Amino acid sequence: MRHARIILDGRELDITIDANDRITTSAGEALDVALDSDQITWLPPVKAPGTIFALGINYADHATELAFEPPKEPLVFIKHANTLTGHKQVSYRPDNIDYQHYECELVAVIGKTGKNIKREDALDYVAGYTVCNDFAIRDYLENYYRPNLRVKSRDSLLPMGPWIVDTADIPNANALKLTTTVNGKVTQDGSTKDMIFDVPFVIEYLSKIMTLNPGDMICTGTPHGIVDCQPGDTIVCSIEDVCSLETRMVSEQEYYGDKY
Amino acid sequence: MTAKTLVNSKLVCVALNDKAQLAALEGTFNEAPYKKPPTQPVLYYKPRNTWSTEGAVVEWAKDFDGNDVAEMAVGASLGVVIGKETCRVSAEEALDYVGGYTIVADYSLPEQSYYRPDIKGKCLDTSAPVGPEIVAADKVATPEALTVTISVNGEQKSVFELANMERSVAELISIISRIMTLQPGEIIAVGFAGDRVAVNKGDKVEASIEGVGTLNNTLGGA
Repeated sequence: MRHARIILDGRELDITIDANDRITTSAGEALDVALDSDQITWLPPVKAPGTIFALGINYADHATELAFEPPKEPLVFIKHANTLTGHKQVSYRPDNIDYQHYECELVAVIGKTGKNIKREDALDYVAGYTVCNDFAIRDYLENYYRPNLRVKSRDSLLPMGPWIVDTADIPNANALKLTTTVNGKVTQDGSTKDMIFDVPFVIEYLSKIMTLNPGDMICTGTPHGIVDCQPGDTIVCSIEDVCSLETRMVSEQEYYGDKY
Repeated sequence: MTAKTLVNSKLVCVALNDKAQLAALEGTFNEAPYKKPPTQPVLYYKPRNTWSTEGAVVEWAKDFDGNDVAEMAVGASLGVVIGKETCRVSAEEALDYVGGYTIVADYSLPEQSYYRPDIKGKCLDTSAPVGPEIVAADKVATPEALTVTISVNGEQKSVFELANMERSVAELISIISRIMTLQPGEIIAVGFAGDRVAVNKGDKVEASIEGVGTLNNTLGGA
């Protein structure tokens, strides 16, 4: 089963989507609308977002691409809900920068509170999986708590969704094809099998430090194949059997409007 | 999670905002891995599992083998509580967006490196008490005139005059609001004395700011 949050006809709805793409609200109402309908506004799929953990350089080939040694323990940084936006929404590119790239990532959504969770039990704590695009603005990198908040924690820099797939429906999260297209052209073509630290490892690691709670999310990093994105570009991040996430890039001025 | 936390949705902390600390580390920051001193505020989050309250016991941290860690440290900061949605404001208008002030204590492992996000050091459960209350913004005319002190078991260990911050409260709100839209109840811990105070199991810690209050906590593990 898949779970999402949408706005339809002015109503904010929690929905489930079955194998035949039929949509039912949490109140049991069947919705007569197609998944690809423009009537649907997709919200970020986690209803009460908690702490968002993101992994840096968690694919060996991406580490090479960025001229880094693969890490010996996870490189984790934290983001908050201000970064989230939904499927088919916009993300912005700041003015006067040279390099902003997408990062297509598998996301594990925590469903149960836990501390000191063992690897073999870790998936019991995962409600499901979704896809995010963990944008980075490389111009803003500084060597202090890198990747620093200015690079990764801006409003709209973490499109996510459109839905969460139940953990039970993904028997092996480390055997999924991962692709990104920019304006229809494939720019990233990898597999979650090349992840250095998998979801159970990261859950064990983080939960030795701190309590994980429902609504927390773990964004697991991206493989080789990042390219610069410009206003007007449409970026689609897809992970096999999970979902495809579409984002349109806009300028800073278009994003902020009156507040620009 | 602590039900009574004063934090709504986000606690942003500013590291390396003590002029004396920046001066002392200048040589280090010109070498690898830093290569040059920071040009922007150095920010980190204390996530929701860390949020705690006045009077609470702060857990003594465990290492990855499940043993008690050898050392912990505490810093204290003025906590700036956002009063209304704050998006891309100028430094001149920034203080109009402050709803009040409080105290943030940041318990952690000793700060050893600023190169990578310090998840292991900073994200410990219950390590960010906030309180004892939120004092209305109009009770504090000039935040930079305040002094933050830390006492351990009744003995004063740290005095930090906010006039010695590299960046002012207004500058920080302006810069951060250009990274992220801040919401009412979100808190910015604007600066800590560069020298964090070492603490032991069972210590009673008081973080005080005259006119804002005193935040009392006890270290666990004793």
